Amino acid sequence: MNAIAQYAPPHSTSLQSGALHIRGLNKVYRIEGQPLPVLEDINLEVRPGEFVSIVGASGCGKSTLLRLIVGLEADYEGDILLDGKRIVATSLERGIVFQDHRLFPWMTLSQNIALALKNHPLSRAEKDRLVAEHIALVSLEGFENAYPHQLSGGMAQRAAIARALINKPKVLLLDEPLGALDALTRVRLQHELQRIWVQQRCTVIMVTHDIEEALYLGDRVIVMDAHPGRIKHEIKVDLPHPRDRASSVLQGYKEHLLEELVGH
Amino acid sequence: MSHILAKSRGLLLPLLLIGGWEYLSRQDAAGAYAFVPLSAIGAAFIELLANGELLVNLWASLARTSTGLALGIFFGVLLGVLMALSTLGNRLIGPLFHSIRQVPMLGWIPLIAMWFGNGEFSKVLIVSLAAFYPMVLNTWQGFSHVEQRYREVGQVLVLNRWQRFRHVLLPAALPSIATGVLQALAFAWVTAVGSELFLSSGAGLGNLMMNAEAGSRMEVIVLSVLCIGLCGYLMTLLFTLLSRHLLRWRNIR
Repeated sequence: MNAIAQYAPPHSTSLQSGALHIRGLNKVYRIEGQPLPVLEDINLEVRPGEFVSIVGASGCGKSTLLRLIVGLEADYEGDILLDGKRIVATSLERGIVFQDHRLFPWMTLSQNIALALKNHPLSRAEKDRLVAEHIALVSLEGFENAYPHQLSGGMAQRAAIARALINKPKVLLLDEPLGALDALTRVRLQHELQRIWVQQRCTVIMVTHDIEEALYLGDRVIVMDAHPGRIKHEIKVDLPHPRDRASSVLQGYKEHLLEELVGH
Repeated sequence: MSHILAKSRGLLLPLLLIGGWEYLSRQDAAGAYAFVPLSAIGAAFIELLANGELLVNLWASLARTSTGLALGIFFGVLLGVLMALSTLGNRLIGPLFHSIRQVPMLGWIPLIAMWFGNGEFSKVLIVSLAAFYPMVLNTWQGFSHVEQRYREVGQVLVLNRWQRFRHVLLPAALPSIATGVLQALAFAWVTAVGSELFLSSGAGLGNLMMNAEAGSRMEVIVLSVLCIGLCGYLMTLLFTLLSRHLLRWRNIR
């Protein structure tokens, strides 16, 4: 997997990496003064360009883990290192797509995507070109001036993906990105996510409820346990991308994973 | 046909009212005095239009309302933003603001008249105060209820303070601010005419009414009342259309 040539960002001189090291991570919420452990002793190494899926019951802290990695919560014990640097705040090196698309309803699709470039020292023309490029990447040409309420759920989620990718993040975090979509749209977008990832090759960590989705996209699937959230099991999906959804190998992994989750 | 009927439903009640009015005015002498015949109102309209009295007074009231409204909106939004975005600001100003706004607008008039006399400054001050309260409240409401999920997007995109204000907080608060302006508009118009009734100097629809009362010209009083109602309605309509355009991104189905 590492042998594949890294996608070189057009507007960044630094070499794109994206190695994530999580060591001895603990996270505790305080509810009415009572400590509530959400994550306990999480250790995870993610190689640059790897696609890691995380599955697990609700309450296992999957989303909290993503919020910590993206930098929305800075108060944690242990280490979360991106290329050796400790994560303490949000950064354009890390992008996230939430389950609800979170496009701003007061901006058109292209304005929403362009907002992510707000603090880039690029020229106006350069920014316009990048926005157009990313709208094309998620196949939304023709909807540049539509407001989010005029888009379908799947289209809005594609736009959110484009917004997260436009900064060429080293790490892309996906928090149940397709969870709110209907089954058909979901399959179509899974396919598209795979195509985009093969093209961009950034490190991806995706939280999902859908086992098939986790296996279809992930190089590795991490199974988490709840109360407190911890890593229970890990499966390496040894199958090159792009993958065939109907592959019998995937079927085998699925049975294995189901057994692990339901615990027969 | 049914389309036209549906559109003109709003005219039904006013027409009935006018009919009833005209009927009562034709009953006896007392009725004719209390309910001036429509023809007399029409004659007064033409008379005041011709000698310019109506337009001068209408213009004076409108100008007063606009100035007061602009000032009230500006300072109201400023204070509302300050109270919503600064905890210290809210702690310092909140209690004072909330107790002062309990005083009804009419209650301020004697005090303001004593301080600043009964000239234009006092009237504009009263109008801007009337517009100020709803602006502060609605702006505060809008800015303090911006959804956390949108704030987080601003954080993820590493927007600075000004960018967050400009691209996230302000647009999210805009619908609430528009509601404030709509309320402020109504208050400002009513208070402008009210201040003219109490501080009777200079021009204005309120003054026109006071003078008509002194001269027992019932038809001029009724004409003024009609003017006040119609102008208020038109201003509200105009602003509603404007805000619908500005807030067209909202999903109203």
